[in-house]
Amino acid sequence: MNLRAVQAIYFSEMARTKRTIWQSIVSPVLSTSLYFVVFGAAIGSRITEIEGINYGAFIVPGLIMLTLLTQSTMNASFGIYFPRFTGTIYEILSAPVSGVEIAIGYVGAAATKSIILGLIILATSFLFVPLHVAHPLLMLSFLVLTSVTFSLLGFIIGIWADGFEKLQIIPLLIITPLTFLGGTFYSTSVLPPLWQKITLFNPVVYLISGFRWSFFEISDVSPSISIGMTLLFLVASLAVVWWIFRTGYKLKN
Amino acid sequence: MPQELTTDAFETVWATVSFSRGLFGKAPNPAHIEKILRELSLWDKKDNTIRTLSGGMKRRVMIAKALSHEPQVLFLDEPTAGVDVELRKDMWQVVRELRDSGVTIILTTHYIEEAEDMADRVGVISKGEIILIENKAELMRKFGKKQLTLHLQKKLDVLPPALAAHNLTLADGGEELVFNYDTKAEHTGVTAMLSALSNAGIRFRDLQTKQSSLEDIFVGLVSQKS
Repeated sequence: MNLRAVQAIYFSEMARTKRTIWQSIVSPVLSTSLYFVVFGAAIGSRITEIEGINYGAFIVPGLIMLTLLTQSTMNASFGIYFPRFTGTIYEILSAPVSGVEIAIGYVGAAATKSIILGLIILATSFLFVPLHVAHPLLMLSFLVLTSVTFSLLGFIIGIWADGFEKLQIIPLLIITPLTFLGGTFYSTSVLPPLWQKITLFNPVVYLISGFRWSFFEISDVSPSISIGMTLLFLVASLAVVWWIFRTGYKLKN
Repeated sequence: MPQELTTDAFETVWATVSFSRGLFGKAPNPAHIEKILRELSLWDKKDNTIRTLSGGMKRRVMIAKALSHEPQVLFLDEPTAGVDVELRKDMWQVVRELRDSGVTIILTTHYIEEAEDMADRVGVISKGEIILIENKAELMRKFGKKQLTLHLQKKLDVLPPALAAHNLTLADGGEELVFNYDTKAEHTGVTAMLSALSNAGIRFRDLQTKQSSLEDIFVGLVSQKS
């Protein structure tokens, strides 16, 4: 394996984050902090506890997940799309670097950014709400798995997109609504029975539920199902990325 | 190195050149990167973002990226387009040193004099088809001609019949006589032609010789093909 090439791509992407720190780190942290202020402190103080958990604390896993999903897809999609847009992808494709190595470099960097963001938001949330993480290792595992999976999805979007507009379509029109409807701000158990069933078709429900369980040991679906579904998304994304590099889809034409 | 200037505009010169080295699996070597940047007169721009550079500088950055991983085969596609004369010389000096160090360089260029100066072997492409690949010296010998021009003391209206056998042509309205010959031939015919001129009483005040350049040969080959 050309580890130096992986390092080169990874650190180049991380350097881009550093160059755009206001957009990459500060802005998402600030937006999430505003959710804490509005939903946690202002509105949340008028909402009773949910399943024995303070409302401000209850929304923390969902808000972290919201940031992870949107930032992972956006960072990874932009990371691979920009070289395609400028034409610098030729250099990567002509270098002795395999598809796997390219994906590790870009997806690794995007996932690292998301993990850093998730941890900063978690640390910030301690400033606003009383919070306790029941299973820190499981919480970290969800954080890492979700970041990697959605960075892979972002990587796929970045290769599929042929314009900046397409880069935004999936994060804004699919992932964000699914996250809001997936129990970020509520437990799906409060929904009418029919909607509870429909909600189970929303993949984000499993991610938020499992992540929330690692904090409070409460969940909408069983934690083992959540882990299974997360791994399933990861495998599905890996399979698509593998197919892209095997066929050269949108890369070599 | 591609002809198109494709670079990440927001990266610094140092970062983009180091990135290229890493992509090709080479360990970081700041001394080597510094050497390349200095040779290509980019050292004082190493911390500048690429978008702030001129077109010529961007092209040199592309060359620096291509050289960063110490390649054994280097493809240069129109490397000097848009580069000013002085810097072009510096660039060729770098390329020449690489060639002398054993690097195989495949250069495509419209500047034929550059190819003549640099190349060991020359290929000619016309209408997308390679019409010839030849050792440069052999090519010059095969297709190159030497021309002797005699500036006459008195203008000639027609070539005297006694000189008809000597492959001479009148030029410049009869003020000059032009003689084409092959220096590699067993008999160039120069001595016989000069004797014939003397016998015919034709005198000249000056003479000059000219060797066909690679460009002359190239133009001849391409026009022959078309």
